[in-house]
Amino acid sequence: MTMTAGSGDPLVTAAVVGGGPSVQIRDLTVAYRIAGRDMAAVAGIDLELPPGSITGLVGESGSGKSTLALALLGAVQKPGRITTGSIEIDGVGDVVTLAPKAVRKARGAQIGYVFQAAQNSLNPLKTVGRQLLDLAKSHDVDDKQSLVRQAKSLLERMGLDAGRMLDAYQHELSGGMRQRVGIMFALVLNAHLLVLDEPTTALDMISQANILSIIRDVSTDRALTTLVVTHDIGVVAEVSERIAVMYGGRLVEQGPTTQVLRDPKHPYTRGLIRAIPRLHGDPALAQALPGRPPTLGTTPETGCVFRERCDVFARLQLPACVETDPRPTPIDGDRLVSCHAVASEHQQADREARA
Amino acid sequence: MSTTLDLPTIGNRADAVVTPRRRGFWHNLWRVLRRKPTRMAGAFVVVVFVVIGIIGPWLYPANLPTDSNLILSGPSLAHPLGTDFQGADVLALLVTGTRYVLVAAALAALLTVVLGAAIGLYAGYRRGLADSSLMRITDFVLTIPGFPLLLVLSTVWKFGSALQMGLVLGITGWGGLARSVRSQTLSLRERGFVEAARGLGLSTPHVIRRELLPNIAPYVAMNLLIGVTTFIYSQVGLFYLGVLPFKAENWGVMIFLAVNNGVTQTGSGLFYLLAPLLSILLLTLAVVLLVDAMDEVFNPRLRED
Amino acid sequence: MIEGSGIEKSFRSRGGVLGARRVQALRGVDFAIPKGGAVSFIGESGCGKTTLGRILAGLETFDAGRLVVDGEDLSALKPKRREPVFRRIQLIHQDPYSALNPTATVEMTLRDPLSLRARQTDRPHSWVSSRATEVLEMVGLDPGYVLPRYPHQLSGGMRQRVVIARALTVDPEALVADEAVSMIDVSLRLGILDLLRRLRSELGVSILFITHDVATARYVGADGELYVIYRGQIIEHGATDKVIANPVHPYTQCLLSAIPVMHGLEEPGVDRLEPTEPLSELQAEGGCLFASRCPFVAERCRAERPQLMPVGDSGHEHACFFPEVRRVVATPIG
Repeated sequence: MTMTAGSGDPLVTAAVVGGGPSVQIRDLTVAYRIAGRDMAAVAGIDLELPPGSITGLVGESGSGKSTLALALLGAVQKPGRITTGSIEIDGVGDVVTLAPKAVRKARGAQIGYVFQAAQNSLNPLKTVGRQLLDLAKSHDVDDKQSLVRQAKSLLERMGLDAGRMLDAYQHELSGGMRQRVGIMFALVLNAHLLVLDEPTTALDMISQANILSIIRDVSTDRALTTLVVTHDIGVVAEVSERIAVMYGGRLVEQGPTTQVLRDPKHPYTRGLIRAIPRLHGDPALAQALPGRPPTLGTTPETGCVFRERCDVFARLQLPACVETDPRPTPIDGDRLVSCHAVASEHQQADREARA
Repeated sequence: MSTTLDLPTIGNRADAVVTPRRRGFWHNLWRVLRRKPTRMAGAFVVVVFVVIGIIGPWLYPANLPTDSNLILSGPSLAHPLGTDFQGADVLALLVTGTRYVLVAAALAALLTVVLGAAIGLYAGYRRGLADSSLMRITDFVLTIPGFPLLLVLSTVWKFGSALQMGLVLGITGWGGLARSVRSQTLSLRERGFVEAARGLGLSTPHVIRRELLPNIAPYVAMNLLIGVTTFIYSQVGLFYLGVLPFKAENWGVMIFLAVNNGVTQTGSGLFYLLAPLLSILLLTLAVVLLVDAMDEVFNPRLRED
Repeated sequence: MIEGSGIEKSFRSRGGVLGARRVQALRGVDFAIPKGGAVSFIGESGCGKTTLGRILAGLETFDAGRLVVDGEDLSALKPKRREPVFRRIQLIHQDPYSALNPTATVEMTLRDPLSLRARQTDRPHSWVSSRATEVLEMVGLDPGYVLPRYPHQLSGGMRQRVVIARALTVDPEALVADEAVSMIDVSLRLGILDLLRRLRSELGVSILFITHDVATARYVGADGELYVIYRGQIIEHGATDKVIANPVHPYTQCLLSAIPVMHGLEEPGVDRLEPTEPLSELQAEGGCLFASRCPFVAERCRAERPQLMPVGDSGHEHACFFPEVRRVVATPIG
C-alpha cells in the first residue's frame, strides 16, 4: 500500500494541500545559565526553512545544533532559555512567545519530532500499538480507528509489516525498524514539520541509506518541511536540498546543498568537507582540521568563534576576526556565509565588477 | 602527510590555564562537605558522637554514683537529663554507653563492607567456579537467621564487649552487599577500561583494586555509613528485647530498663527513655546528611567546582 | 604476521520455546595480517567482525580453527602461555568514553601497565614516567596538559588518543581498531585515522581495521587488504582499492552503494543497488547466506552455498555463483 491509497483519508489530503509550513527563525539566542553566567549555546541565528523542503543542519558536538532543534520545538530545558529572537512556524505562531501548553499541543500535531537515538525512545514495556493509543489519549484524538489506519499506512509506506509492528515490543525490532517506528510516531498525527535529530547515528550503512531514502520519500509524499540535524555531512549531502552549517553556536554557512558542497566558502565548511575520506582519488588528500571544537565554556567571547582553527586567519590575521563576530553575508543570491575574509573578498569582487 | 596534533590552544581557554592537581581523599572530603551546610552539620554531629565515644567512659567513674533520693527525676542543674531508676545521672549513662554502641556498629559495618565488597568484586570479576561457589556461601549467609544465632551465642558469650557484638553482626550481615556489588561488577566488567586492563595483562588483584573498586567506592561508602545506623538499630533492638544478657551500659540497655521500670506507664523519668532514643535519631539524621556527599567525594566529575 | 584459518565461533542466543538457539558468529574465517600491514574487515553490525577482533585481542575464545601469531599456534598453547602473545595484539575500543577508567587520571592509566612492563623487563622505575611522556607524544598529545587530567576533562578525540597511547605501553605488534572513530567528532576523526597510519609507517604496527565505513578503511590502508564479511562468512576479499573499484559480490555492491553521495561533488554510481529486504535474524541457513536479500538471486543460490573462489590471479576472491562487476561507487564530477 502506498500513500496514494491512503490519501482518501481527509487528514492526509489536508496535509498535502497545505504544502508544509515555512519556518522563520530570526536572531535566535539560547543561553544556558551556568555558575551565574549566561553562556550562549546558540547565538543570533537566522534560518529559514522553505515550505516543502529538506534542510540539513550539520554541526559537531557542542555546535548548538541540538539546542536549535529543541528551541524549534519549544522544548529548551532549564538552565537554558531563549534570550532573544523569534521562531515563526506557519500555522502555529511564534514558538518563543506561545504559551507552553499551546506549544505542547503543536508538538506531535503540527511538529513531528524524531529523537536522537530513537532506537531507545520507545517504552520497552509496551507494544508499539499500545503506545500509539497512549499518544491518541494525550492528544485527545477521538477517532482511534483512523489513527491506527494512518499508522499502518505510514508503516507500510516505509516497507514494514504494519500488523506485526503494532504488536511488537521494542526489543523485537532492529535499529532501522525502531527508527522507522519513530518516524511513524512523529507523523501519525499529521505533522507538517518534521524534525529529525541524528536519524542515522548508530545505524549501519545499509540501514542508513534505507532510512535516508524513506525520509526523502515521506517528505515528498506528504509535502513536509523537514529539518535533519546531524554531525554527518554525508547524510546531509545525500538527503537535503539545503544545508546549514553550525559551529560554536553560530550558523557559519547556509545555502543549496550542491552549491555549498561544490564550492564551500566558509573555512570551517571547507575544512570539514576536506576531512572526509572518499572512495576515489588519493586518500592522502583528505586533511584533518587542526584543534578541536569549542565547548560552552571555551567559546571565545569576542570575534569569530572559528579563528583558532582557521587556516585563513592563520594566514591573513585580519583584525576583524579578533574584534567582531562576523554577521552572515549574502553571496551568490541564495547563500549566506559568516566570515570576515569571505565578506571582504566578496565586496572587493563587487567593486571590481562595478568598475 | 598531515600530522595534526589535537593539542589544546593556550589562550582564552580557562581549562588550559589551570592545571588540575590531584588531591588526597581527606582534602576531597573536606571540599565536598563544605559545599552544603547540611553536610557540615551532619559531619559535626558525627564527630561529636565519635569524640564522646572515645573519651566518654573516662569522664565518669566506672561505677556511677547513685542517689536513692532522686529516682527517675526530671532534668535539673545537677542532672541535665534527669536520673534513672537507681538515681544515676542519665547524661552520664548516655555518654558512657556511647562507646559500646558506636564500636559495635562501626565494626559490624566495616566487616560487612570489607567482606561484602571483596567477595562481590572477586565473584563478579572472576565469574565461573569462583563466582558460583562464593555466591552459594553468600546465599547461606543470607539465610542464617541472625537473631536465633545471637540467642544461641548468648549462652556462651555475654556480649560484654562491643567487639563480640560487632563481630557477630558483621559476619552475619554482608550477604546483601556482596550480591549487589557482584551485580555491579558484572556490568563494570564489560566496560572498555576493564577489558583493556585485562588485555594489557594486569593482574586480577590489580584490576579489582585499581579499576573496579574506585568505581563502586561511592556505593560502598554509602553502605558503610548507612550500615552504621542499621547496626545501631539492630543491637539496640536486641538489648531492648532483653533477650541478651548484658553487663555493660549502653543505649539499648537504657531503653530496656526504662521500659521495664514503668517509664512508659508512669511518664516519670521520661528523659531516661528519650535520651538514648533521640541520640539514635540524631546520629541517623547526621549519617543521612553525610551520605549525600559520598558520590561527589569519589567521582572526579562531580568533585569539580 | 597474524594468520587465522577456519576460525569458527557460535553463541547461544536466548529465545525459542525449546531452549537456546545457536547463532553462528564466524563460519570458518581465513585471513592473514602481514607485519606492518593494514587489513580491514567491513560488514554490517552483527556480521561477526567485532567478534573476530575480540578473538584476536584474546577477549573471546573460538570454537574451531587455528590462530597463528608469529609462527606460534595459539590453539596449541596453554592459557598461561597464550596470554603474553595476545598482549601483543591490542584492541582499540569503539567508545573512548567507556574505554578509560573515569576515576583515574591519564597518568594513573598509563603508569600501571608501564610499571608492570618495567618489572618484566628489569627497567628502573624512572623509566615509567619518561615512557609515559614518550607514548603521549607519539599519539600527538601534550603530556603536561593531559597527564594530570581525568577522562571527562578531555575531548573524545583526545580520549581516543589516550586509549591508543595506553595500547602502545606494551609495544604491540598489532592494533585492532573496532569502529575506532565512529564516536568522535567529524573534524577530529581524520586526525585519529592519520595517527593509525603513522603508527603503521613509523613503528611498523599492523592495523586491523574493523568498520562499516569503507571510506575510512580505505584511508587507513588503501594499500592493504579488504575483507567483506556477511553473517560470519567472508564473501569477498582482495586488495582494498581493487575491491572498491571492481566489486563482484552483490553484497559488497550493496554496502558500497549505501555510502552517501556528496551531491555537487560526486555522481552516484550507475549500478547503485540495495538489498531486497533488511537484515533479519531469521534468514535461511541453507544456500548462499545473502540469497534472501540479493537482487540477483537465482535457483542455484538457494540450494548451494558458494565458497571463496578467485577472480583471475590477482588475489581477489569472492563467494558468488554469478559474479559481475558493477559500478556502484560514486565518481567525482569533473
